[in-house]
Amino acid sequence: MLLSIEGVTKEFIAQHDKVLVLDKISLQIKPGEFVCFVGPSGCGKTTLLNLIAGLEQSTDGLIRQNGEKITSPGSDRVVIFQETALFPWLNVIQNVEFGLVHRMEAQKRHEIARALLNLVHLSRFEKAYVHQLSGGMKSRVAIARALALNPSVLLMDEPFAALDAQTRDILHEEIEEIWSKTKQTIIFVTHNVREAVRLGDRVFVFTARPGRIKKEFLIELARPRDINSEGVVIYAKQIQQELREEIEKFLKEEVDREWTLKKADFLRPAGIDLGSGI
Amino acid sequence: MIWEAVYKLGIWPPYLFPSPGEVAKALLWGFQDHSFLIGMGVSIQRILIGYFISLVFGIVLGILIGRFKILDETVGSLITGLQVLPSICWLPLAILWFGLSEQAIQFVIIMGAFLSIAIATDSGIRNIPPIYLRAAKTMGIKGIDLYARVIFPAALPSIATGMKLGWSFAWRSLMAGELIFVSVGLGHLLQTGRELNDMAQVMAVMITIVTVGLIFDRLIFARLEKRLRRQWGMTK
Repeated sequence: MLLSIEGVTKEFIAQHDKVLVLDKISLQIKPGEFVCFVGPSGCGKTTLLNLIAGLEQSTDGLIRQNGEKITSPGSDRVVIFQETALFPWLNVIQNVEFGLVHRMEAQKRHEIARALLNLVHLSRFEKAYVHQLSGGMKSRVAIARALALNPSVLLMDEPFAALDAQTRDILHEEIEEIWSKTKQTIIFVTHNVREAVRLGDRVFVFTARPGRIKKEFLIELARPRDINSEGVVIYAKQIQQELREEIEKFLKEEVDREWTLKKADFLRPAGIDLGSGI
Repeated sequence: MIWEAVYKLGIWPPYLFPSPGEVAKALLWGFQDHSFLIGMGVSIQRILIGYFISLVFGIVLGILIGRFKILDETVGSLITGLQVLPSICWLPLAILWFGLSEQAIQFVIIMGAFLSIAIATDSGIRNIPPIYLRAAKTMGIKGIDLYARVIFPAALPSIATGMKLGWSFAWRSLMAGELIFVSVGLGHLLQTGRELNDMAQVMAVMITIVTVGLIFDRLIFARLEKRLRRQWGMTK
């Protein structure tokens, strides 16, 4: 068992008020697994990711990696952020090499960075600065930068949320390919249900605050998967159903106690449109 | 041209308002008898030493203030307060402490420059997006490495502004110091010009001071800023 999360609870203190974000989460992740967390916004899925990364400390419970307690960030668990967090004062290849400096000589880390840029199809841009790249290219550099450290766990926090659908599709393919090559464990946080089904071996659905694991889905579909395939859509529908209740709960709490989601009643009857648009 | 025209109008007598030709002659004379060159040499040497010390002090202090809350609450407000004080006000104190010596002038330069550098460094560090620090930490960077490879470069645009500001403060403090304090140097040449009622020399020295300041700005700060802007993508 690579990662074992045991009864993890996290509270935040906001203006003398304790807010329970995660409530006794327990789950196990095997080496080489691709695991997705989905949930309504504010459910604490990103917090759990940060706890695994060691960027935050849990209030109660513990997280173990290969039996050892996680207490601080480390290069064996690298996070890829949605904002990519590339360093603007470095060019592309320097960004990729960033985590390797002081670990090996320049020649060697240069080779590794080159190979990785090749892997993410950016070899032509190694001397470019971050601001010259498009959103998708930035994501690729961020992936390469994380892979350079050869982490045993890759933590991805909504990495593709800001990208357009086409770029996202391509990056799904690429991350899947990289994953099958490197056999790294990936934990992927997203609010996009289809994305989770497209990529994950297992998908965990979180409840609205406080975050608990509502349901776990084992995605038994052959890879590579098509995000629009029937299998993906069927799973996505089931997960969406689970989520819907939670989103409703969340909105009631956040927006208005009277709030209910309408049941697809805005679709006009087909008869009205008959013959139009011919 | 305007200068020449105003001169020709004869509103002010020539000894108060010299013609450009006379000023150019004074410039030439100054450089020919080496007094300007010596003055420049002395002033530049002073400012380089003083500025370098201010840079080290300012950046270290700025980082410490940015890092430790207790320092921010105590020294932080003191620095802002002291920044209001023109650096030349430190001269009496410096003379009493160090006597009529090089150190007294250096002290005035440092008091003029390092505060603005410290303030800029502190605010630069404060404005670093936390995500950079998180990204670096998750890649296993910590301690001094975090400062050298993330915090300092991330704050550099702001530090560069502080450095530029600090340079002009240092230059002003030096000139003020040299004016009051008898010593070789450009400020002193200005003072001699006044004492000899030689307006042409006064203006020639002023031109030299501006030129030296500009040259340093072009050579160092403009280049640094341009490079930073290109890296960070702030040019069009």
